[in-house]
Amino acid sequence: MTFSKNESLCRDELQAWQLKHLKETLLRVYHLVPFYKKKFDEHGVLPQDVKSLEDLAKLPFTKKKDLRDNYPFGMFSVDMDQIVRIHSSSGTTGKPTVVGYTEHDMDIWAEVMGRAFTMGGVTCQDIMQNSHGYGLFTGGLGFHNAAERMKIAVIPSSTGFTSRQLLLLKDFGATVLTATPSFALHMAEVAKAEGYDIAKDFKLRVGFFGAEPTSEGLKNEIAHIWGIDYHEIYGLSEIIGPGVACNCKHSNLLHIHEDHFYPEIINPETGEVLPEGTRGELVITTLTKQGLPIIRYRTGDITSLTRIPCRCGRTIGRIESIVGRSDDMLLINGVNVFPSQIEHVLSKQEGITLNYQIIADKKGYLDKLEIDIELDEHLISDDVSYLGSLKKNLEHALLNNLYINVEVKLVAPKSLQRSEGKAVRVVDKRPK
Amino acid sequence: MKCNIKQLTIFLENKAGELSVLTHILSKNGISIKSILLADSTDFGLVRTIVDNPEKAKTVLEDEGFSVRFTDVFGVKIEDVVGSFDKAVSALSEAGINILYTYSFYEASTGIFIFSVDKDRFNDAIAALQAKNIEIVQAKHFYE
Repeated sequence: MTFSKNESLCRDELQAWQLKHLKETLLRVYHLVPFYKKKFDEHGVLPQDVKSLEDLAKLPFTKKKDLRDNYPFGMFSVDMDQIVRIHSSSGTTGKPTVVGYTEHDMDIWAEVMGRAFTMGGVTCQDIMQNSHGYGLFTGGLGFHNAAERMKIAVIPSSTGFTSRQLLLLKDFGATVLTATPSFALHMAEVAKAEGYDIAKDFKLRVGFFGAEPTSEGLKNEIAHIWGIDYHEIYGLSEIIGPGVACNCKHSNLLHIHEDHFYPEIINPETGEVLPEGTRGELVITTLTKQGLPIIRYRTGDITSLTRIPCRCGRTIGRIESIVGRSDDMLLINGVNVFPSQIEHVLSKQEGITLNYQIIADKKGYLDKLEIDIELDEHLISDDVSYLGSLKKNLEHALLNNLYINVEVKLVAPKSLQRSEGKAVRVVDKRPK
Repeated sequence: MKCNIKQLTIFLENKAGELSVLTHILSKNGISIKSILLADSTDFGLVRTIVDNPEKAKTVLEDEGFSVRFTDVFGVKIEDVVGSFDKAVSALSEAGINILYTYSFYEASTGIFIFSVDKDRFNDAIAALQAKNIEIVQAKHFYE
């Protein structure tokens, strides 16, 4: 069963739909978003030059930096009276990236999420415990809104407070769990420690997980521990949030809703479009969005694309589970972190150097981020409590700017590992 | 009389063997430690020490990558009798001077207490102690 007929159109019909909406989107952005007009003009290409889907390759890419440069609403193609929701993610140099949705965009979001829920066999009979974080991130409210529209009973438990979550999970009898994979594992660990019998005490039968790169082994482990079907949801706020792609019961590949989000795979070095089946960076053009339409957005995620129809009957393309990044972005418990964001925060603090090392590791099943920072060569204080407060101030500033908990460790000058004279910035000790 | 003693404050990470690296550098360079105090937190420690050649000590420690700072402190000579430390502390307290930290060492039957106080009250502290006839150690006492 599919949620909408667009999921299983024949290729010609789908392409006709895609081209029609692509043309409309190009006209929309060219005339309504000065950023695109300027960029297309500089590139010597007009919306009407795009006559086929292949012609999309003539257009320039849009990058995360473009969103920041046009902070906060410069990339929107509608006035604020049309916008019904704003989300935001942490920024690289203090400024966050901002996305906005019209009522129509919310419909699309609910639709693609509805398709994902349907892939997992979820109906209005189900109870969904939504353990994605609520707030500015798209995770919590993205799931919440779509589930409500499908008349699924949602428990907005958000993330954290694991013991209470387990109590709710047992007493309210949720059948569907949505969370980051690491939080799902953490919950299972706490459940065991607190004496729950996972098979008997909980009614879960399906889970939707995402926002973190996850190995097949880890997915199988989560499915096994909780006794559930594991569905992976891919998404990013710049495109819409969770729901850009999701796997059905028949395949590990994720169906990408290409009637709304047109995918290309490119060589991240040259920008050249790669053939189906080849790994490269995923680039997405939104075809139906109004608030923040986006042309050839560089997701930074490495994957491959196939359009071989799936056994489930859907004809829309499928992507692999994300295998890596084309940049230095780290995902910490589902939150994007760029080393440059950390450096920006550190650069404002007196008494430390900008020789630092970011160490990502696992504490139990959760990600843990430690930042070792070399002190100034000339110690600026003889006071232990000053150094203690320096550490606390930095941790506080990082939490405020990046929305993540970081453990700061002050280390002696020149003590960090160096490679050809430069400090090694990021050490990722997490198992792949 | 010059009574500012140049104390070295050195940052140490809390890991096994760090202190011996520091003491080894000093010993190798013929620097004698007169007194030492370790203040620690969970992640790191601060070593406060008085040596016979502070300038040289700072140079050789920084060469080896230590983070070092000079702090002016003063020393008070105290007889080994009940109440003598109390007398010195009371003198500072009556003058409204906040003691940041203090530590001691002994030479024969005399004790020397090292005091760190707020920088802008340093001279007031010396004056308050001298007014009570408490002997302040001359800085040169420690140096060759």
